[in-house]
Amino acid sequence: VKAFTFHAPQALADAVTLLGQHGAEARPIAGGQSLLLAMKERAATPSVLVSLSGVADLRGWHQDGDGLHIGSGTTYAALAGSTFPTWQQEIATVAGNLADRPVRTMGTIGGALCQAEPRFDMPALALGLDATMALVSASGVRTLPASEFFRLEGGTVLQAGEILSRVSFPPAARFSGVAFEKFRVRVFDAALVSAVCAVRVGVPAEARLVVGGVRPTPVEVPGVAAELAADLDGADPAELGRRCADEVLPAAEATTSLARYQRELVAVVARDAVIRALATARS
Amino acid sequence: MTDTLPPVDRATGAGKRLVGQSVPRKEDLALLTGTARFIDDIRLPGMLYAKILRSTVAHARLRDVDVSKASEMPGVHGTLTGSDLLGKIKPWGDLMQDLLVGDHFPFATDKILYEGQEIAAVVAESKYQALDALEAIEVAYEELPVLVDPEAALAADAPLIQEGITYEFGEGNIFDRYRVRIGNAEQAEAEADVVVRQRFVSNRQAGAALDPHGCVASYDSFTGVLTIYSSTQSIFMVRDVLADTLQIPRNRVRVIVPEVGAGFGSKAQMFPYEVIASVLSMRLGRPVHLVLGRGEIFRSGTARNGQVRYAELMLKRDGTITGYRDYVVHNCGALSLWGNQVVHIGTNVGMLPYPIPNIRVDADIVHTNTAPGGPLRGFGIPQMIWAKEQLVDMAAEELGLDPLEVRAKNVVRPETFPYRTPMGQVIDSTSVYECLHASADAIGWKEKRAARVANEGVGLAVSMKYTSCRHPSFDTDLSAVRLRLETDGTVTIFSSDVSHGQSHATFLAQIVSDVLGVGFEKINLAQPDSATSPFGLGTFASRGAAVLGTACRQAAERLREKVVAIAAHVLEASPGDLETGNDRVHVKGLPDSGLYLENLAAYAAYRTHQLPPGFEPTLESVATYDTPTEREASDGSGNLSVTYSTAAHAAHVRVDPETGRVTVVDYAMVHDTGTVINPLVVEGQHQGGFLMGIGMALGEDYVYDAAGHLLNASFKDYQAPYATEVPELTNMREIPAPSQTIPGGQKGAGESGTGPVPAAIGNAVYDATGVRFTALPITPERMLLALKEKASQGVQTLRFPDDMHDFTGPRTYAEWPGPTSEGDEEGWLL
Repeated sequence: VKAFTFHAPQALADAVTLLGQHGAEARPIAGGQSLLLAMKERAATPSVLVSLSGVADLRGWHQDGDGLHIGSGTTYAALAGSTFPTWQQEIATVAGNLADRPVRTMGTIGGALCQAEPRFDMPALALGLDATMALVSASGVRTLPASEFFRLEGGTVLQAGEILSRVSFPPAARFSGVAFEKFRVRVFDAALVSAVCAVRVGVPAEARLVVGGVRPTPVEVPGVAAELAADLDGADPAELGRRCADEVLPAAEATTSLARYQRELVAVVARDAVIRALATARS
Repeated sequence: MTDTLPPVDRATGAGKRLVGQSVPRKEDLALLTGTARFIDDIRLPGMLYAKILRSTVAHARLRDVDVSKASEMPGVHGTLTGSDLLGKIKPWGDLMQDLLVGDHFPFATDKILYEGQEIAAVVAESKYQALDALEAIEVAYEELPVLVDPEAALAADAPLIQEGITYEFGEGNIFDRYRVRIGNAEQAEAEADVVVRQRFVSNRQAGAALDPHGCVASYDSFTGVLTIYSSTQSIFMVRDVLADTLQIPRNRVRVIVPEVGAGFGSKAQMFPYEVIASVLSMRLGRPVHLVLGRGEIFRSGTARNGQVRYAELMLKRDGTITGYRDYVVHNCGALSLWGNQVVHIGTNVGMLPYPIPNIRVDADIVHTNTAPGGPLRGFGIPQMIWAKEQLVDMAAEELGLDPLEVRAKNVVRPETFPYRTPMGQVIDSTSVYECLHASADAIGWKEKRAARVANEGVGLAVSMKYTSCRHPSFDTDLSAVRLRLETDGTVTIFSSDVSHGQSHATFLAQIVSDVLGVGFEKINLAQPDSATSPFGLGTFASRGAAVLGTACRQAAERLREKVVAIAAHVLEASPGDLETGNDRVHVKGLPDSGLYLENLAAYAAYRTHQLPPGFEPTLESVATYDTPTEREASDGSGNLSVTYSTAAHAAHVRVDPETGRVTVVDYAMVHDTGTVINPLVVEGQHQGGFLMGIGMALGEDYVYDAAGHLLNASFKDYQAPYATEVPELTNMREIPAPSQTIPGGQKGAGESGTGPVPAAIGNAVYDATGVRFTALPITPERMLLALKEKASQGVQTLRFPDDMHDFTGPRTYAEWPGPTSEGDEEGWLL
């Protein structure tokens, strides 16, 4: 770790001001479960850290007509220990089944989304569930859907001085069933491949499919999702899983051993996500 | 009032003997309460912090190292480079016999041989200032072609790694050769009904001790004594090599160990950082702390030697093994102190439990631009067993026999002990036959093979592991204990063999308690300190219980003779009528009478007129035990170990055909550890041994790119198993065959649990899927791709990687390479 100055503001406005004052030298830090590791390896060397952990406004959640709004500073452990209505409970389940206990205790949903590591679970989940992100800066608040928050080449569109303050998931009525599935080698490892399926039964029917871990950012699989939406009852999950693999990681591009393996896993993990999302929707 | 008191059931006599009991470990309180002090916890007044700049390339000419800017950085007290030390300290690597080269130096001087090699060091007020200053050091390299593949190192046009060193076989990447010539393997081949042949590759594995490598050096310019605290397995190996390197007398180097949080063989030598910290401390007159980070340990610590084995097993139709032939390419990394020994011991002892009459082995021991190779739990035996125990299964399949029966037919089972095998091992006792059957029964071998479940399988492997070792480079196998009966009747044990998980404080106290009759709680093990401990080799080779334990027993018996002599004089009794127990010496049968050890010690210390005439007033005893082992003969034979422990393992695995994940559903371990001193400790050793075995089998490896960069040098990326990946390990038992050589009957426990694991799992995976893994580790990725390849080829069985479409190595026997030298010429030396 290189020497740095640590600020611990109590209000979001103060955090924004501090980040603005220090410019590119400064980094916001939440649970620090990615940034501190990078700093220990000197892969990141910010001279100023603005801690968000004292900002009460960034913790907790509330539900309104627009959906479930989760403060970016909410820890995985807090999410894992909470109860949400219907499919939203999947958010708690995912938060309770990643990394290890120390990481879940310290790590935050916002930290994971800003880190945007493709093997992390939360970016795929946010994109799969069509979440929106609220970004606060000195010039105000802007709101982006997850699909615009993550950049295709990796990372996020977050600019210097901006803080992700909130992630909003759609209201319970939006989906009838959702499922997040992943494969990891060891229990505490990040996922080699993850997949999210969200479906709404009704008129119009809707289906979303997202695959994580394969590309530099989680990616939607709109073609396969549209096919699923068109015929929820007649869906062949195994076939849809294989189509996901073809779309996300075509055989021609799977040239390394790891990529060939991930291609096989996409078909399995996406299939399982479809099966469970449909089962939940029907139950 | 008094008549209402219940009669007192007063315990009398010496109580239960402690050897054989699961006495709770003395070590646990400090470890479990976080009060144990490891190397990074050492704080000395005025201590400075050093850090090492390491190479980021794997093979290069080192043109320039400029530390001028670094030395001006805040807090920096000094810098050190290779050119500062050239001609001032001695290279090492040649202290031990047959390790003929002084190829180790604290820093690269003219050439970089592997990623992570030391280039310069900085010492500063804080470790952060030292790290800041490292970034200001300017290094000029000229990169050279990189060799990662050990077989490629043999090519005539391969880049030369170690330059300017003429090995026994001339200049080149062949560091050493090794051969075994027992019987006539060619004749055995000609007369065999079946010969199974396969190329096997084994992986590089990290020691991965959680407690990092490191030291604190503190030079006292007044006394001229260099004190070094080091996280090492052997204080005298560090002391002798360090003193020799620094060219100072050995009684001016004092090595002390703090708590050592494991080693597994990875801390059994002196390392450059110990020299660097010592030189800096001697130069500055202040203590210098130098503890390595995990990435540094991965890159520059020693890793298990990888091997390529072209192995052949010859059998008769009835399953009798008649011969074994092997050509081994043994990867020692860029430089290696112990690496060549690994193939000697691993091959010799790895031949067990089969007394194979005809053996021919040739090994080329090579350098590559990778991390130094070295010993790791099992010392070459897991690599050998991985090949040989899979060959046994392949032969059984070809012969249409049950693999259990083939093993049972061949395991060493003499009518009388001791029995000498053709390879030279002297088997002084064994229950390997019983262990083998018990392990098969424990996994449900017959039932599970009769009622097949899709994607599930069972596999066996059996090994016999050395207990202690007379290394070819090291004509000694000794440990020593000094005991002192203190003036309050407590006993202090002094030993230089470092306990780093082996529970010396507990099991030595059990031995002393039984022999001397002193309470377990009154016995304390002093921390190893070269200034006060008797000379011993250290803790490795599963030698603690048998070698150190025997020295301890002898020292306790000598101390017992002394206290009995004093008591006999005071009590005016014959020594033959006395015995020890209950913290005293008493007349036989009267354990509540007699004289307390406390009183006897006081006579020897403060009432010497009470002593027998001519009795030397001391209550210390010392014993050194050197095992009756042999040096390796020129044909490779010899009894290198004092006795041999058995491990018979049986695995039941499930393979997920969709993800390739291999789950060990059940795992049975049946061991012969001789007389077990402490079952709790031995069980823990076996479980820990298994853990390293399953890591080797299913996940761990050093992954290098073509440029020699280690891609997984962190615990995040390196696939060592977590507790969550380990099956329930309760399916284990001992079938003790007490050693006839070791007075207490005990055998080594530390490494038994590792050897058979990769082969047992490999055999079970084949049983489950028809995929024969010939390379380690069996990762989910490799497993699934192999299953897909098998399906696409439409075959019943497939070898990974040999039968994969993109495999570029030799697929068939006809394509196999041969040894670079057959070594049959006159005067060929080991």
